[in-house]
Amino acid sequence: MGNKVKTICPYCASGCEILLTVENGEIICAEPGQGRNNQGELCLKGYYGWDFLKNNKHITARVTKPMIRRVRGAEFEEVSWAEAIAFAAMRLQAVKKQYGPDSIMCTGAARGPGNEANYVMQKFARAAVGTNNIDHCARVCHGSSVSGLELSLGNGAMSNSIPEIEDTKCVFIFGYNPAVTHPIVARRILKAKDKGATIITADPRFSEQAKISDLWLPLKNGTNMALVNAMAYVLLTENLYKKDYVENYTEGFAAYAKIVMEYSPESVEALVGISAKDIRTAARMYAAASSATILWGMGVTQFGQAVDVVQGLASLALLTGNLGRPNVGVGPVRGQNNVQGSCDMGALPNVFPGYQSVEDEMLRKKFEKAWGVKLPKKRGVCLTEVPHLARKGKIKAYYIFGEDPVQSDPDANGIRKALTAMDLVIVQDIFMNKTALYADVILPATSWGEHEGVYSAADRGFQKFNKAIEPKGDVKPDWEIIALMATAMGYPMQYKNTEEIWDELRSLCPLYAGASYKKLDELGCVQWPCLDEADEGTSYLYEGNVFNRPNGKGLLFAAVYRKPKEMPDTDYPFILSTVREVGHYSVRTMTGNCNALRILSDEPGYIQMNNQDLSRLGIKDQELVWVASRRGKIIARILSTERVNRGAVYMTYHWWIGACNDLTIEHLDPISKTPELKYCAVNIEVIVDQAAAENYVVAQYSALKKKMGC
Amino acid sequence: MNDFVIADTGKCIGCRTCEIACVLAHQSSPDLAALTPENFMARLSLVQTAMVTVPIQCHQCEDAPCVKACVRGALKQGDHVVEIHEEACIGCKACMLACPYGAIEIRMDQETNKVRVVKCDLCKSKKAGPACIRVCPTKALKKVQHEDFFKQISNRRKHAAGFMQG
Repeated sequence: MGNKVKTICPYCASGCEILLTVENGEIICAEPGQGRNNQGELCLKGYYGWDFLKNNKHITARVTKPMIRRVRGAEFEEVSWAEAIAFAAMRLQAVKKQYGPDSIMCTGAARGPGNEANYVMQKFARAAVGTNNIDHCARVCHGSSVSGLELSLGNGAMSNSIPEIEDTKCVFIFGYNPAVTHPIVARRILKAKDKGATIITADPRFSEQAKISDLWLPLKNGTNMALVNAMAYVLLTENLYKKDYVENYTEGFAAYAKIVMEYSPESVEALVGISAKDIRTAARMYAAASSATILWGMGVTQFGQAVDVVQGLASLALLTGNLGRPNVGVGPVRGQNNVQGSCDMGALPNVFPGYQSVEDEMLRKKFEKAWGVKLPKKRGVCLTEVPHLARKGKIKAYYIFGEDPVQSDPDANGIRKALTAMDLVIVQDIFMNKTALYADVILPATSWGEHEGVYSAADRGFQKFNKAIEPKGDVKPDWEIIALMATAMGYPMQYKNTEEIWDELRSLCPLYAGASYKKLDELGCVQWPCLDEADEGTSYLYEGNVFNRPNGKGLLFAAVYRKPKEMPDTDYPFILSTVREVGHYSVRTMTGNCNALRILSDEPGYIQMNNQDLSRLGIKDQELVWVASRRGKIIARILSTERVNRGAVYMTYHWWIGACNDLTIEHLDPISKTPELKYCAVNIEVIVDQAAAENYVVAQYSALKKKMGC
Repeated sequence: MNDFVIADTGKCIGCRTCEIACVLAHQSSPDLAALTPENFMARLSLVQTAMVTVPIQCHQCEDAPCVKACVRGALKQGDHVVEIHEEACIGCKACMLACPYGAIEIRMDQETNKVRVVKCDLCKSKKAGPACIRVCPTKALKKVQHEDFFKQISNRRKHAAGFMQG
């Protein structure tokens, strides 16, 4: 038998412990460990999602040598690390000299690299480049949760831990489909139900959660705020809220009530598409439970009005006293394995690591002293503002670390134009991807499985992940590459290993000070805040109902409902909402290269559509169709289902041919700058010659693979 | 009586982990690299209807229509299971027509050019038992063992009698 390496799953942020069996330097299988969150269980990605490390080249190839392109449009040339770093740093310095540090944007990476690499990257942006222009894909997903919860409660993370879900008495699931995104969290919800919890699901689709719910609220797409306000109306008018809790631990009640009182369930019935009776029942069920947990996902956060809804949900928890104790709370369940971590590490334009504001002079002085350099005080730009700013000539260079915005961000054509407009694009990744096609420099990194570090699970749990195999090719760990770049830029950076980076981080962040490698090894998982040596971490936040706001009180906040930006019309009669598929992950560079996962589901990808809408258009299940919006047109395969509502279609951003982000709209929440990926207008065009369309897909797929080095 | 694998529709979340586990358990090697779209033959199949999500697999019927339909003895009543004798199969597909669950499929193995009988065999040759049950993250699948079945019924009868005390 081979050697077993304990590590953490690289997919969703459930933070499952995995044991990889390694024989002769190769992984041969994965099995579940007894992690805090997964307790000996894994989903299909955990079990069968590691063989992308074999460079199968099903969709794209590993980058195994540094590559540069001296002239745009030329072929990439493979060069030595010394030459690649010198070239990239020289070009970046030139941009900095000509346009200033704020013309440069850097990203963190929410996936494989780990916390240490993100810490080093934000330090690179702030100390070596001299800008707070650092952000990452949290902006595209739970950015609204972070902003909304920081405003209402003072902390942007899940208030309670994943294991606590099973002991809550009511799970209110809003715009969240864990059966697909976090099977291991879905498992906790089933356990809660087994233990007698009431389940309420608000989702336009009949999801697996809706299936097991006591009450399903099939709201119309884009009406979240009206539903949340109407539930609050019921709590207030039926005296279902805890008056003493509100009085002692919250503020803003009068202004809150004033807005909420405009939203009686009866008045929003038609808008939301749910009977006043069901809205009332939902509010009563939530309020009646002795403990209740609200869980949400992108169905809340990816709207032009998202922060308001997050604050509305937090207000429901405050009204009913469902915070500050075990088995309650608010749970924005983070999607990517380390998206909580890249936020924790300060890969955000407004905070240093540990959520310390860049605008706070005392805090900035602390970091200046530690890093030996003057730091910028102005907050940086958000990831989703980059395309616009690049097209306007304000952002000139982009150091993209472990992200593929052409595939993952709204309006891919807008992103392509932005990348073309920039003077310099540096991509640091493990795989060739659609964004790298626009790069001037590609820096190849080691992957999950080939390096070690710490990830943060969705519930603030730090866990160490370990190296299982040696990387193949001329690749380096991300933090080493960034340190080389910093040094070449004139800011020498040198670390012996990830522990040294982690210890520097801990010395600067009171929230993480006690979470040493030694403690992580001993306890397996430590949830921040972990303040000192004796502290074993924090399962739930706001103990004693003290919120992390200036006066310690939670903020009750409601907003007037705003409709989505692009409503369907006669030219584009369907709502497109982007969702997920259980066997694939993110931009699919990893799962698309896993043999079993790609067999279960492959290009061009599906568009889920209501069976009655399909028969009206004369389209059959599994047929190919054109999907068009004002921004683009792509081909996709029909998945006919009774589970999705009429008038709306659903696609996942995993697909490279059926790429839904060629269609989506660059409309942002005004506070969090999170895009409205859950709502834009599209048209479905019938294809008469299906055989020709199938051939077209095959040709597109092989052309794409060729570009990706397969 | 035969054993059989059954899923709890209230627990299945439709993740299809069971399907991959099943395919790997029936390959000569459990190597992920050996899988192809052609040889990916899961013996249970996830079905999602308007209201139900559940994997469908062989019920190991007592008076099995597939056994009766097979003229070659490729399907036989065995040791608490409907056994597969693949070497006898000529691929006539009568069993596929006969099975009311759609739980049996005859496929050609393109690598060996032999007929494959794709039906749940309860992983009889595996010490760890059915692979699908082992991997299911929500414990939606279980094997109903003939001996437990009678124990369970007997317990339920006792429980029911309890209500009749008056």
